[in-house]
Amino acid sequence: MTTQSSATAPLPTARAALPWVTTAARLVLAGVLIVAGWSKMGAPALSIEAVKAYQLLPTAVAEIVGYVLPILEIVIGLLLVVGLLTRMAAIVTAVLMCAFIVGIASAWARGLNIDCGCFGGGGALPPGQKANYLPEILRDVGFLALAAWVAVRPPGRLALDSALGLTPVAEEDQSPYRDASDEDDDPEAHEERNREKDD
Amino acid sequence: MGNAARRATREKIRLQREQERKRERRRRQVTITLSVVGVVVLIVAMVAIWQSTRNRSEGYAGELAPISRTAEGDVVMAQPGVNAPVLDIYEDFQCPACKAFEETSGDTIKRLAAQGKVKVVYHPIVLFTQEPLKSNSLRASTALRCVPGGRPWMALHDRLFKEQPREGTVGFSVDDLVAWGKEAGVTDANFESCVRGQQGASEQLNYSSRTMQSAKIQGTPTVKLDGQELGDTAFVPGELESAVLEAQPK
Repeated sequence: MTTQSSATAPLPTARAALPWVTTAARLVLAGVLIVAGWSKMGAPALSIEAVKAYQLLPTAVAEIVGYVLPILEIVIGLLLVVGLLTRMAAIVTAVLMCAFIVGIASAWARGLNIDCGCFGGGGALPPGQKANYLPEILRDVGFLALAAWVAVRPPGRLALDSALGLTPVAEEDQSPYRDASDEDDDPEAHEERNREKDD
Repeated sequence: MGNAARRATREKIRLQREQERKRERRRRQVTITLSVVGVVVLIVAMVAIWQSTRNRSEGYAGELAPISRTAEGDVVMAQPGVNAPVLDIYEDFQCPACKAFEETSGDTIKRLAAQGKVKVVYHPIVLFTQEPLKSNSLRASTALRCVPGGRPWMALHDRLFKEQPREGTVGFSVDDLVAWGKEAGVTDANFESCVRGQQGASEQLNYSSRTMQSAKIQGTPTVKLDGQELGDTAFVPGELESAVLEAQPK
């Protein structure tokens, strides 16, 4: 989709809509992260228990993750809402989603019967209750795709990054000719062209 | 304007732009760095606050309220004459969340009982149906039935959670159970044969299914204060204590 829009000049409406797609993706991810983080905040002991249930990390590391993950999710979610450090937040989100996918897939592969603890809860499931890992993995793959989109096309509309002038993309947009003129062997003719365009 | 002059002017403009761009880049870097530092500080501060306000075990090692087994098989820890509020604890020695609960809130519960603020009723049940979880759990809880009460009961109870086998592995061997019981201060000469014989096992299973049915237990730990399930509150010592103090009889 990206290559298409740059190769053939897209309809103006489509170009105008793309930043809004980023904004929408940001808000969806933010909602998911904040709800997920908040629902783990009930008790540190339970959050740690949910991490330990995966039996992937040494106890000390699991404890740190249990303490940090809920808060990390909430803070990253807030960054995505306001659009501050959008690309970094999106990359962290993508890394988190990859970690969740790996964790759930490995729990599945090892035949563990656990609650993923994605939105609070967690730990071993009571007898008679069967874990259903596939929808959880597919869901996280979807979130991963959204995070990748935001990382590739930050920051979207309504973003603090734009207000603070933190977007390198915006700078490039302002000065496509200047950069070219530096290397141009006939700068005079080039400037003439620019003037024409400006008019 | 001559060609050279034009060239010089252009060069000047170019330099100005270059500087402008450098300034702009520096400003951006400073803003980004400050934002990142701000976010990291925010995360660390929030973790610290969360950790300290909803903290772990208080580490109580004082006197315990009297502990004794009832006719039904529950174990009561309460000061004489304290009948309310009642804190019911349904737990399985093989359940990791129960271990977390005991590690986090166990000491607060012991202190509150010792202070006469609450009557605690332990219901050690066998929740698991799959092996080797079920056998582990059954061996351990049956062994604990060989201890009639008092401090040794609590010491062995705590030891069992401490030594909880990793899920999926066989643990709580009879030899270990006997040794832990002795270390817990059990002096009864029949204790060892009681643990090795596991005669109480069938009664322990009956007791478990009876308890799960009558108390409608879906999972462990289930912690009820005067019949009301506490949920996450049970895992936050401060909140658990407030709940108990609020439930004091007027």
